[in-house]
Amino acid sequence: MNSPEQRMNEVVALQRELESAGYVAEPALAAALLLMLDLGRPLLVEGDAGVGKTEIAKALATVRGAKLIRLQCYEGLDVHAAMYEWNYQRQLLAIKLLEHDERPAALKEQDIFSERYLLKRPLLEAISCAEPPVLLIDEVDRADEAFEAYLLELLSEFQITIPELGTLSAVTRPLVVITSNGTRELSDALRRRCLYQYIDYPDFDKELAIVEIKAPHAAGQFARQVVEFVQSVRRMELQKKPGIAETLDWTAALLRMGISVIDDDGAERILETLSALVKTRGDREGFTREVVARIAAAC
Amino acid sequence: MNAAAAVIDAPGALLRSRLTGFAGFLRANGYGVGGADSVRVLETGVKTGILDQQVLRWSLKALLCGRGDEWRRFDALFDAYFLPPNKKVFVESVATQPRESAGGLRDSGESDDGAGAAAGSADDGSAARHGASREELLAHTDFSELHHPDQVRDIEALMRLFARRLKRLHLRREARSHRGRRLDLQGTIRNSVACGGTPFRLAFRQRRRVRPRLVLLLDVSRSMSPYSFFYLRLARALSGELADVHCFIFHTRITGVGEALRDPDPWRSQERLHLLAAGWGGGTRIGECLRDFNRDHASRLVHSRTGVVVVSDGYDTGEPKVLAEALAGLRRRARRIVWLNPLLGQPGFSPVSRGMQAALPHLDLLAPGGDLESIERVIPKIIEVLR
Repeated sequence: MNSPEQRMNEVVALQRELESAGYVAEPALAAALLLMLDLGRPLLVEGDAGVGKTEIAKALATVRGAKLIRLQCYEGLDVHAAMYEWNYQRQLLAIKLLEHDERPAALKEQDIFSERYLLKRPLLEAISCAEPPVLLIDEVDRADEAFEAYLLELLSEFQITIPELGTLSAVTRPLVVITSNGTRELSDALRRRCLYQYIDYPDFDKELAIVEIKAPHAAGQFARQVVEFVQSVRRMELQKKPGIAETLDWTAALLRMGISVIDDDGAERILETLSALVKTRGDREGFTREVVARIAAAC
Repeated sequence: MNAAAAVIDAPGALLRSRLTGFAGFLRANGYGVGGADSVRVLETGVKTGILDQQVLRWSLKALLCGRGDEWRRFDALFDAYFLPPNKKVFVESVATQPRESAGGLRDSGESDDGAGAAAGSADDGSAARHGASREELLAHTDFSELHHPDQVRDIEALMRLFARRLKRLHLRREARSHRGRRLDLQGTIRNSVACGGTPFRLAFRQRRRVRPRLVLLLDVSRSMSPYSFFYLRLARALSGELADVHCFIFHTRITGVGEALRDPDPWRSQERLHLLAAGWGGGTRIGECLRDFNRDHASRLVHSRTGVVVVSDGYDTGEPKVLAEALAGLRRRARRIVWLNPLLGQPGFSPVSRGMQAALPHLDLLAPGGDLESIERVIPKIIEVLR
């Protein structure tokens, strides 16, 4: 049994490692990642778009020095695109070449349905790596329920059955990170099998830390103002709230425009950069010069 | 369970029972936690150490939560369970709030079972919770006629028909199939491998079948009361036929009734509906209800294949502007919005109420729907619109 201090130290250490990989993680997330390594369970991450769900997997891969394998889900994603497919063209070519071969038919068949002719898609690739990779299953809610069932089988058994070849078991267990945007309710079975993490929009300190890491050109006071401004924008009634990526884009846009201080005098020029921050027409109409000046003055 | 047995020996007996009890405590608070989870809680406790409160909290949070609302309630529940009593004062009021409201319902003579379900209804815990404050228990919406046997049969037959037609809708996206309209080259080559490269067996691609998701928003205000039983029966029959139907009732506020409708026991279903709608005051705030729906549920439920069906007479006591904005917001997410107005079929009625006027520009179809016959007539139109 670990002593509690030891575990806390591990959490803090992982947090530091993640930060040096460019990801500012809350201690709760670091603790969940440690638990994920302990229990070998996938981590299901939910939260609004743009809060850095996908980045978790990338940072984890960097920290562990592992390969990142990404499966982007979409409506209509099927086994052939996600797990494996036979390379039919090459198989046919092989058949033609083998026509004059003297070997018995069974052997030839074995040859044709061997791994050489198998196209590995992300899921199969993930379980056949020699070193445990990080498998990112992105936006799982976009795939259909049927695919979710396939996924469940994979996540519980870590093996894939290919009729012509037999069952392939995982060489090593990948670290699985699943993200969901909530466009569809996920099945309880999937939720039960995963550890869970809900990521909210970052608070001021966390976002400031992120901006300082990702946009080192933004000097201290300016970075604070930028983050303050974005935090105020998020508190407004918007159709689409800006995520962290938008904050970084906007910071870059401001720097590019040569703006290095946010105040109500510069509202005109800030308005010109807002396309990096506000992304729907309805929201954009809400940002008049006065509104921007008011928010900027408060920063 | 061997691992579990080994684990169980580790911490002291008191701590052990305290830890295993936590899963049950969460279950009682409406979490989707299973029996096996208490063992995992123990394992986690051993892994992370139980003395550091923060680490244990973060670890158990990741382990036991399954969705956003559970995530947000977790900290208060954790504190209420694990913190010593003298530190508990603040959080306890938060943690026990659902129970109190359940108690309030029980006082009014409702069954224990139903009250628990209403307070912890998975679809809409929060709305159900504030739907149960004491002073509002006076007014009741009566769903007692929900299960008249003869009508139920007709409705179920009609809804089966509707569901069957919905199931036949096709998407433009294609998938491999044995028959179809277009040749699938990749599949044909794959089939020909067995015949040494001669394409004997052709493979096709066909448009994928897909069932659109339906979201029903039923007005159960007093002016709608002659029709609301009828529509709830429709909704119950439809939920039985299709998996992807989500039903909400609204009046002065909106709440999800999917769980209650799907209850296999018709009497308990009725009881639960009763509880959900109990205590709603007068006046219909369609606009505000739809706005709340947009805020709380739309991002989860409404996507580009969703048909939203609003059933209401359009007598809105709120601002028409709010209704128009809410519908416009919904329109951006949903595929189609159909509005059924039971009064529309009546001779001499025209939709001139301010609410209806505000709604009209945002609708794909406004149709009458006062009785079974008119519903039957309108079904082909709805399907046409959903296509």
